[in-house]
Amino acid sequence: MTGVVWVLAAVVIAVAGCGAVAVPRLRDRDLRRRTAWSAARAAIESATVSRDAAAGTRPEAEQLLARAETIAAAHGGPRAARAAEDHARRADALWQEATRG
Amino acid sequence: MVERARWILLAAAVAVLVTFLLVQKQSTDVSYGQAPAAKDPIPEGSAGELSGATVPSAEQLTALVKASPVVRLPGSIATWDDRAVKAAAGGADVRILVAPPGLKKEDSDRVHDVDAATVRVVGTEVSGGILQASADRADEWIHQFATGDVTESLTTLIAHLNHQPEAPDQPALARRDPTAAELAAATADLRTTGRFVAPGATLKDAPATTAAFPGAQPLYVALPQQPADRPLVHFGPALAREFPGRPIVVMYGSWVEYDGPSAAAFADVATASFYGQFGDRLSQYAYPQRNVLGAWLDRVTAIRYAGLFDRPLPYVPFDPLRVALPALPWLFAACAVGFLALSASRVLRPGRPGTGAGVPARLAGLTALAVEISGLTDGASAASLTRGITRLTAARAAFDENLPDKHVHGLLDAAESELDTTAGLLGRADYRPAAFLQGRLA
Repeated sequence: MTGVVWVLAAVVIAVAGCGAVAVPRLRDRDLRRRTAWSAARAAIESATVSRDAAAGTRPEAEQLLARAETIAAAHGGPRAARAAEDHARRADALWQEATRG
Repeated sequence: MVERARWILLAAAVAVLVTFLLVQKQSTDVSYGQAPAAKDPIPEGSAGELSGATVPSAEQLTALVKASPVVRLPGSIATWDDRAVKAAAGGADVRILVAPPGLKKEDSDRVHDVDAATVRVVGTEVSGGILQASADRADEWIHQFATGDVTESLTTLIAHLNHQPEAPDQPALARRDPTAAELAAATADLRTTGRFVAPGATLKDAPATTAAFPGAQPLYVALPQQPADRPLVHFGPALAREFPGRPIVVMYGSWVEYDGPSAAAFADVATASFYGQFGDRLSQYAYPQRNVLGAWLDRVTAIRYAGLFDRPLPYVPFDPLRVALPALPWLFAACAVGFLALSASRVLRPGRPGTGAGVPARLAGLTALAVEISGLTDGASAASLTRGITRLTAARAAFDENLPDKHVHGLLDAAESELDTTAGLLGRADYRPAAFLQGRLA
């Protein structure tokens, strides 16, 4: 009887300890992922707007934006999100530069 | 606060578990491979039980026994009632060999091996054939140890060896009160030194204090072995009247008597247990009275601490571990549950990474600015405005998703700079966000 109590209590402590560590960590990782994708989406949209406003075509920028959109479609982790954001930013800069002439 | 309580509960659980594991130590003391070498046995004679007496050779002993029905070797102490023994023998030829007590092992064996003797008496130990007679009642022990009278053992053994009916019991030892002179001599010594050692007694000293009688100084009276044919002087009650409230220990040879406080409670128990265990050895050997007294006092101590006779048990310190042992698993379980509850509350607490301070105001201000200038834009400024609006939308979504403040403010900063660019392209300094927002707030 008491043996069962010992084992159950030990399992409860182990589960509670692991949970208390793992749950905030998972939550934090999810938050960072969502934040990164939020930034990436904002950059892609901004780049899209710049492309529509741009006069000429910039193949290099098109390529960068296409790559960013491909990465975004695959829905990866924070690192993929940062890569997509980086590509979109560079495409945005190129089109803005093209617009200013 | 919760966090600290959580850690305290965890530490308590670990402490309980460790305590439990430490208590689990099994104490089965089995030794087979690691059996230590036996210590040297107690050498014979180290307790002063040897008298130094010697006995003749086996041939001489046999010759002596054949020559006389009763052979008393020098130093013998055993006596008996001749008529009772003859009656028990019923006319058969009985030869008795009497040896002194305290013989060395080989001497004692030699006496026991004299087959010509019907009965061998070593000290007061009586044996014959393959039999040995032992006293088992206080009435017999007092005969044997106080006076050296072995009539009861002899008659029992001889009747048995000759297939005669059991001999009648020996009458109880006669007692008499001490005379005034005897009592005066004893009390005088007891008052000055606390003990009275009669001439011939072997008590050299007595313990000053003893655990057998805590808080009391016992009085010791030591007398040598008494003659068997005269009444035994009954010192105990007379001295107890003389010294009320003092424990009084009187020794007659190897016989110890007690009078004084709570004599009724333990004296008989002490006598039965002491002579029941040591009677055999005391009868063969010549222990000094000091050693007999020490062993007897140890026995009284053991009885005192045995908790017999409704005496309060000696104080045992409170041991929290003993008391808590059955509760340990439940303590552990309680700690586990508490830890679980606090962990859950910590994990499930509605946590917002950012406070969201200032975000709605900025969002509203910038959105109002965008709406305000949306009618004025064209070309490059329209693209800039659209980018700003895109950023604002993203900031709004991020704010709704509870993303960190830093990120939301970063998006708002980007929107602000786009709107700033828009205002610059339009040439309207009053629509620059810094100025516009300041005006709105004022």
